Amino acid sequence: MDITVTVNGAKRSGAPEARKTLADYLRDDLELTGTHLGCEHGVCGACTVIVDGRAVRSCLMLAVQADGSEVTTVEGLAADGEMAPLQQALWDSHGFQCGFCTPGFLMQATAFLDGHPDADEASLREALSGNICRCTGYQSIVDGVLLAAERMRQG
Amino acid sequence: MAEILAERYTGASIKRSEDPRILTGRGRYVDDIKLPGMLHAAFVRSPLAHGKVLSVDVSAARELPGVVGVYTGADVESMTVPGPDLLASMMGGGVPMPEFTLLATDKVRLVGDPVVLVVAESRALAEDGAELVEVDYDELPAVANAATALDPSSTPVFDNLGNNIARPHSRNEFGDVASAFANADRTYEFTVNVHRHQNVPMEGRACVADFDAASGSMTMYAATQSVHVAKMAVAMRLGLEQDKVRVLAGDIGGSFGLKIGASREELAVAAASRVLGRPVKWVEDRGENLTTSGQAREESFDVRVAVSNDGDLLALDVNMVIDTGAYPGMGGMVPNIIEGMLPGPYKMQALGFESTGAITNKATYVAYRGPWASETFVRERIIDVIAKDLGLDPLEMRLRNVVDNTDPPANMITGRPLVGVTTKESMQRVAELVDVEAFRRRQEAERANGRYLGLGMATFIEAAPGPRSAESGQGLMGMEQMRLRLDDDGIVVLFTGQMPHGQSHQTTLAQIAADEFGVPFEQVRVVVGDTDQVPFGLTGGSRSATMTGGVALHGARQLKAKVLDFAANLMEANADDLDIVDGRVEVRGDPSSAITVTEVAHQAGDVDLEVQASYDGGEGGWSGGTHCAIVEVDVETGLVKIERYVVSEDCGALINPAVVEGQIRGGVAQGIGAVLLERSAYDENGNFQSATFMDYLLPTACDIPRIEIDHLETVPLDAHVNFRGVGEGGMIVAPPTLVNAIEDALTPFGVRIFEQHLPPARILELIETPT
Repeated sequence: MDITVTVNGAKRSGAPEARKTLADYLRDDLELTGTHLGCEHGVCGACTVIVDGRAVRSCLMLAVQADGSEVTTVEGLAADGEMAPLQQALWDSHGFQCGFCTPGFLMQATAFLDGHPDADEASLREALSGNICRCTGYQSIVDGVLLAAERMRQG
Repeated sequence: MAEILAERYTGASIKRSEDPRILTGRGRYVDDIKLPGMLHAAFVRSPLAHGKVLSVDVSAARELPGVVGVYTGADVESMTVPGPDLLASMMGGGVPMPEFTLLATDKVRLVGDPVVLVVAESRALAEDGAELVEVDYDELPAVANAATALDPSSTPVFDNLGNNIARPHSRNEFGDVASAFANADRTYEFTVNVHRHQNVPMEGRACVADFDAASGSMTMYAATQSVHVAKMAVAMRLGLEQDKVRVLAGDIGGSFGLKIGASREELAVAAASRVLGRPVKWVEDRGENLTTSGQAREESFDVRVAVSNDGDLLALDVNMVIDTGAYPGMGGMVPNIIEGMLPGPYKMQALGFESTGAITNKATYVAYRGPWASETFVRERIIDVIAKDLGLDPLEMRLRNVVDNTDPPANMITGRPLVGVTTKESMQRVAELVDVEAFRRRQEAERANGRYLGLGMATFIEAAPGPRSAESGQGLMGMEQMRLRLDDDGIVVLFTGQMPHGQSHQTTLAQIAADEFGVPFEQVRVVVGDTDQVPFGLTGGSRSATMTGGVALHGARQLKAKVLDFAANLMEANADDLDIVDGRVEVRGDPSSAITVTEVAHQAGDVDLEVQASYDGGEGGWSGGTHCAIVEVDVETGLVKIERYVVSEDCGALINPAVVEGQIRGGVAQGIGAVLLERSAYDENGNFQSATFMDYLLPTACDIPRIEIDHLETVPLDAHVNFRGVGEGGMIVAPPTLVNAIEDALTPFGVRIFEQHLPPARILELIETPT
């Protein structure tokens, strides 16, 4: 099926197999390998991308379902080579270790902060509880996201 | 990158140089590699725990358009050189060596055992092809647990062994066990069980094998803790000379002990690439990872303990049985480490230790963060149980029995000197931080309100790097190598055999080298993951802080001396009068004389500004600490809430505090997961019950509390290198810490706990039927 998806601001057209997931389409067809696959059954959250403003599991969505949508992946967060405030804050906070879950956390947190700029730690942890990190014990990630929120509030 | 301002980089939480790529989606993991003409692999796997393979029909799969190659176990044998499993032979410790093939030929030995390899133009087509393979099996009785395995009438999993003994029974005694028990005021007997759980890195096993027919050489892109061990395995099994194999590794999505060497699947994929003359990628899915990649721990311990009425721990006599799974991994050697480590930092007159290893139809026992951790669980658990029976506070009993940090040091009854061990200090520090007495008052008051709070402590030491041997004078970890070079553009390059997969070596080693050589942090590069460039090495065993940190420190000094010798000619000065400060070579005390390191490097021309360094661990020593958890157990639902988690640890000098704390918190999180959530479950027929993340539950941001960390940093043993390993301790000591707290909370119900996995349903059972 022919589809057109706006990915990180650029229109991309293609004809993926009907059974191809959005994650595989992004990774294989569009060569955006920043989106990672950790379980392919919608639990770990590594493949999270933002589709039309909402964080979704790209392993549970077919590419053809994204036709006409706007998709943001981890590659779309930094603008003109400058890290987004969330990325910068997570760097400053030593947020991650192996980096495999990182794109999912970044996209989940981006979507969450968008709607909850004043989030407290408990609601942030709840919002991130669908993303699994095996390395950090989460504290450094939570601290990084809270730091980003604080910086963004201060403009 | 922004300029980093620090007096010294070492000791500061320098921001990681790994992060700009990782945070922007430009990390390069195996699955991100795309080579021209690359094919994709999928495996047909056994649905049975134990069975004979009667026939394999691959004809339909071979005819499927897009399928390029289909290989049975027999095919793969004809494409490879038979031989022992490299890792099993390295870790075997003289135990019986079963005979088996890379893919199953005559028998399948666990659910998920690979039987047929299908290679196709895409992963989806490879999986389509795998669906078309028909395998007929004759099911055999499953050896689903150690008790069955040790019954001589059980069906042998490996025919050549004739039984299911992975490690024959053995017994060793240290000190006079019989008289310690005969003279004890009291003796206790317990059976302590640790359940099977597993590493579960977020990236599973993966490789791309790329054979070049023209040169007859193999390039393997791997996710591995050691590119050189992987290279050895590939060369051995493919019958290639070592120089014809190159293993490369980029970013790796975690491992925790799982990814050492090359797995049976990866070797089969390499063989297929050679036959096809095209690159072949294999990335296991989560089901394969959970089912077949490897599991750890499942061990039982019959423990006898001799104590005095005052609470002196006199002797232990332990009988351990380990379930090593089907194919050999690390299970054969784990009892040896457990035996040596069981006394921990405690005074003890005697230890009896016997062990037996069982072969079962389960996934291979692999290394998992602190593979010997069960010794700490057993010891720290029984101390609590006995202390309460004697009417002592467990902390009081620990303080009574733990060694003092004396010179000369006390020895463990199993031999090693406990040099520089600060266990007592860490216990006292944790007790201060949590205010045990205030907690006890609150606990008592809340019980009246129907709230059940508990406090648990546990302590550990880790041989990272361990003390020098009293007899041989050798360190425990052997030697660590590093090549260091000043490139002609002025960059100091470190080539290390460490293969980071989250440990931040590209940052921490650069911090040390920058300080020692005298250049800004940004002027140091750390090269990893290429067998053509880096020396032999392996990331694991909490090795790198001391061993690689040490070789980076001494190597950078060696390189500096060499550069100064060369600069002395250039500057017409005496090398002894020169120093390197902030990237400039200058006559000491005369900054106006300075020329930049980059300029010196430029002038070097044919002069080789490179050194090979090696390091033996220096004076060595122990890493360790004490953890404390305060929990609340909801006795209606069985849910455990961790109210507070406090760590006092001593890993000597910190290279990068944020990295150290990340290692501790990550380890504690895995320990919490092991107790409250995670279990690699099999039914009585050996069917695997936890092959998805809905069944194998991992802790989330809502399950792991803030973890407070206090650093002692009190062990200056070596004149130069006082960094100690910290990677495994959290995972080693968190389970007993948490279980001790849970039992403490449930004291009013008479609950005593001799197991490690405590999901809500099990907590409720324990409350209803206390042991």
